[in-house]
Amino acid sequence: MTNLSPAVVETAEPGAASPDGAPGAAPGRKAAGGWRSLVPRWSPKLGVGLGLVAAIALFGLLGPLLTGDPDTVRNSGMAPPGDGFLLGTTQTGQDVFAQLAHATRGSLQIGVLVGVLATALSALFGIIGGYAGGAVDEGFSLFSNVMLVIPGLPLVIVIAGFVPAAQRGWWTIAVVLAITGWAASSRVLRAQTLSLRNRDYVAAARVAGERPWRVVSVEILPNLLPLLASQFVFAVILAILSEAGLSFLGLGASNSHTLGTMLYYAQNGFALQREAWWWFVPPGLVIAAFGCGLSLINFSIDEIINPRLRNIPRGRAGLPGSVSAGRGPVAPAPGAGGGERPGGDAGGPETADGPEGTAGPAGTSHPEGTAHPEGAGVRRDPVLTVRGLDVVYAVEPPVHAVRNVSLTLGRGEILGLAGESGCGKTTLAYAINRLHRPPAEVTAGSVVFHDRPGAGGGTGRDIDVLALESEELRAFRWSKLSMVFQGAMNALNPVLSVHDQLDDVLTTHRPAMTRAERAARCAEVLRLVGVDPRRLDSYPHELSGGMRQRVMIAMALLLDPQVMIMDEPTTALDVVVQRSILREILRFRDELGFAVVFITHDLPLLLELSDHIAVMRDGEVVEYATAERIKEHPRHPYTRKLLGSFPSLTGERGSFIRTGEPGEPGTPGRPGERDRDGLHPDEHHPDERAPR
Amino acid sequence: MTTLEVRDLVKDFSLRSGLRHARFRAVDRVSFTLVPGRTVALVGESGSGKSTVARVIARLEKPTAGTVTAVDADGGRIGGRAYRHHVQMVFQDPFASLNPFHTVEHHLVRPLKLHGRAHGREDLRRRAEQLLERVNLTPAASVAGRRPHELSGGQRQRVAIARALAPGARVVIADEPVSMLDVSIRLGVLNLLARLQREDRLAVLYITHDLATARHFSDEILVMYRGRVVERGAADDVILTPRHPYTRLLAAAAPDPESGRGRAELLAGNGAPEPATATPPPADSGCAFRDRCPHAMEICSRPVPEHTAGAGERSHTALCWLYADEARGARPAPAGTGAATGAAPDTAGRARTGAATDTPTNTPTDTAGRGGTAER
Repeated sequence: MTNLSPAVVETAEPGAASPDGAPGAAPGRKAAGGWRSLVPRWSPKLGVGLGLVAAIALFGLLGPLLTGDPDTVRNSGMAPPGDGFLLGTTQTGQDVFAQLAHATRGSLQIGVLVGVLATALSALFGIIGGYAGGAVDEGFSLFSNVMLVIPGLPLVIVIAGFVPAAQRGWWTIAVVLAITGWAASSRVLRAQTLSLRNRDYVAAARVAGERPWRVVSVEILPNLLPLLASQFVFAVILAILSEAGLSFLGLGASNSHTLGTMLYYAQNGFALQREAWWWFVPPGLVIAAFGCGLSLINFSIDEIINPRLRNIPRGRAGLPGSVSAGRGPVAPAPGAGGGERPGGDAGGPETADGPEGTAGPAGTSHPEGTAHPEGAGVRRDPVLTVRGLDVVYAVEPPVHAVRNVSLTLGRGEILGLAGESGCGKTTLAYAINRLHRPPAEVTAGSVVFHDRPGAGGGTGRDIDVLALESEELRAFRWSKLSMVFQGAMNALNPVLSVHDQLDDVLTTHRPAMTRAERAARCAEVLRLVGVDPRRLDSYPHELSGGMRQRVMIAMALLLDPQVMIMDEPTTALDVVVQRSILREILRFRDELGFAVVFITHDLPLLLELSDHIAVMRDGEVVEYATAERIKEHPRHPYTRKLLGSFPSLTGERGSFIRTGEPGEPGTPGRPGERDRDGLHPDEHHPDERAPR
Repeated sequence: MTTLEVRDLVKDFSLRSGLRHARFRAVDRVSFTLVPGRTVALVGESGSGKSTVARVIARLEKPTAGTVTAVDADGGRIGGRAYRHHVQMVFQDPFASLNPFHTVEHHLVRPLKLHGRAHGREDLRRRAEQLLERVNLTPAASVAGRRPHELSGGQRQRVAIARALAPGARVVIADEPVSMLDVSIRLGVLNLLARLQREDRLAVLYITHDLATARHFSDEILVMYRGRVVERGAADDVILTPRHPYTRLLAAAAPDPESGRGRAELLAGNGAPEPATATPPPADSGCAFRDRCPHAMEICSRPVPEHTAGAGERSHTALCWLYADEARGARPAPAGTGAATGAAPDTAGRARTGAATDTPTNTPTDTAGRGGTAER
């Protein structure tokens, strides 16, 4: 319950988050306001929970109308079920079924009343305190903390003991339970309100001039509803159980029927000793079933609050990084543009793969040079060949994130992978490293790593990355091919020193190294990336963002890899630091001779940095050529468009407009949907496009 | 027509760690004026205080010192709730600035209602649709009924712009309005802002870390570093002939394929060390950039004088000791060699030696006289 902060926004974005944005946003769909997002997704859990709760509630509502007076005393005491009484009779001949119906009603009454009261109290203190902040918040927090440490049950016993039994109606018990039960959920609500209060849309509402009470009730409260609902359900369960406990101890409401009092009388009537199971089992079962039903409903509500709890519908693949069985010499996946590839080529690596997992030098047999960039002059030895790679997210409907991507990374080459969010560039990087997780699956294609011959532990063999078993894969990753992750600045463990984190990689991958060797290697890589080795004992928070990024790069360098994949390594840094890190990357490349796959959306940066550039859109590489060629003669319209999206810093001012759009607005865009050629609807306003 | 004046704005945040209280000065004596029809860009790296300026202007934070005054065409001060009619803000993250629970229409209708721009259900709906059409979200009726998650980032940001215009704002604070958007749609959104500005004669504060768009979309640029404005001037002047070493560094670091720089320049670069730790140098009245500045000298820990070249529209001010001599007319400006080459090591070097030899005797009087603004 503590990890709630990213909840509400994520909930609302399943459609927008999917790579092509299309699902869930059919044109002309009528939006029904925010309420729909609050309805839990249908699941068996929810169905069973709702069924149980509804059945018991109906029984509590209608049962008393259909049964007679539960207090009627008859002569036929302790009659077993059947014989005119559905659930038999008690010691004094009362109808157990009638009692059960009335008791269920009584318990539900208490449960709902306590739920409403406790939720209202917790909302009052939690939300108002959280939003107001300052002294109000401090005061409310203190109060709810005090309420939290007051032990509930003993207090209830004391209060119940003071109030004379004659005046102890069911509502007395309900109020006492509510007062002792709200504090915990108030704290949860306060925490969530504190997080919501800092959202931009709350700030925007304040800038628009909304009054505080409206900000709370209109902007914040709706986003707290799932949480409130879950707190309510929890309070109801707790109240019914506590009331049963109290009544069982004889401290419950007098003259009322609840499941607890039923158990109390059963106990007093020695039902257990007389084996009159029909007297105490039904109320116990009702309590258990109701609690169970409400808990199941709560699970579903929790899924709204925290979408990560949802089960991802899985395809055939069960293991992380698994490769679908369908890959290989099977026909290319639909839409992959298989026509470009000669049939024999698709099966190339597999057919060449001997049982020992080696292949002939790949890249010799494909005539069209699909895996090679245009305009390549001197061809380097390849170190990594990706051919016809398809990655599909097996969700409903399946999302084809990477389509038929073929790339060749030469030894010591810098390959830039450019594209916008959702174009599949990160998925591609993960798939190359087999880091993709279900529901992502590689459905076709090959990734072959050509190991460096001879020196440095190289075998000179080719490794089919997609065919590696888990142990081989572990050895392969990081030592041959390492990765610097997106947002790597925050990927360092805050409680371990830099040395510990670097050392950990070495102990895992190079168990033979001694402690001193490891320490020397750690210092060496830090020096390489331009960080003073004295910083080995620093903790991540003591380093600046640029330093942390350098440490991450040092970590990727530790095992002297031949390929380094860098996923947006400098996006979060300011330009000056970014530039100096790029300079370092170029320098190591020259000194250490590894190849780099550099992923970013910043095409101008790639033009300066890389040898070859692959431009990706919607999972496809639309243009793959040398940096000069992309800069001078971009061929694909999308490449041109991307290039045109970056106004030149020093170029002619006149070459770029700020004059906006003359005349009428352009073609109507279709919100929430991409049109056929996959371009964003936003750019259907030709007049707002920047000419180049 | 509304003018917004920011005078000597200071914003301190108190950082509490355990029992110790520390003060962190996020914004330090920032002054500028937003006038109708003109765009002022505030550029700087993350943490330079530019967003804090925006939040103070939008009255989301209270300034520690200094004033923010909106003045209408007749010269009258605009205060209280009326301030919100006039000054509106576009937030950085369109995924966070629209409430996921509400429809697009709600986001536009609320400000319309609050500021009495429309009355009655039908009128409100019509006005909201007009706003959507102004930001090119058509068909407006269909967009209005959608919720934010059904829109793309660019479309959301258009909604956010429409929301800022809804109360009839004359001053718009755009806090990194495109940095969260895909590159291919950024210019579209910026051009939209520029068109709306022209149509309504808006005064715009454009906050960004992107020098290129700052140059093309604004008339004046203010460069902020650690809470201070270190350089200001006409957009082209600041970018093409940067004077402050920090601005030069920024301009040299920005990727610019047009400049024809290749890897050689990237490799050579002019090396300003990045700060090694997250802690900035002591917050005194000296230059905040001195721990990274390639031209740093002893005098830099003293209060820095402001130096202005040119006048009026073309005035170009830098907050740097390098220009102390020039201010006295002793030497020509060392800058002006252009951004593309990255720096002007020789001229700057000359300035440094000059400053180092000349200043020790002269500075005290200097500081008292010209450095007045910095001292206050």
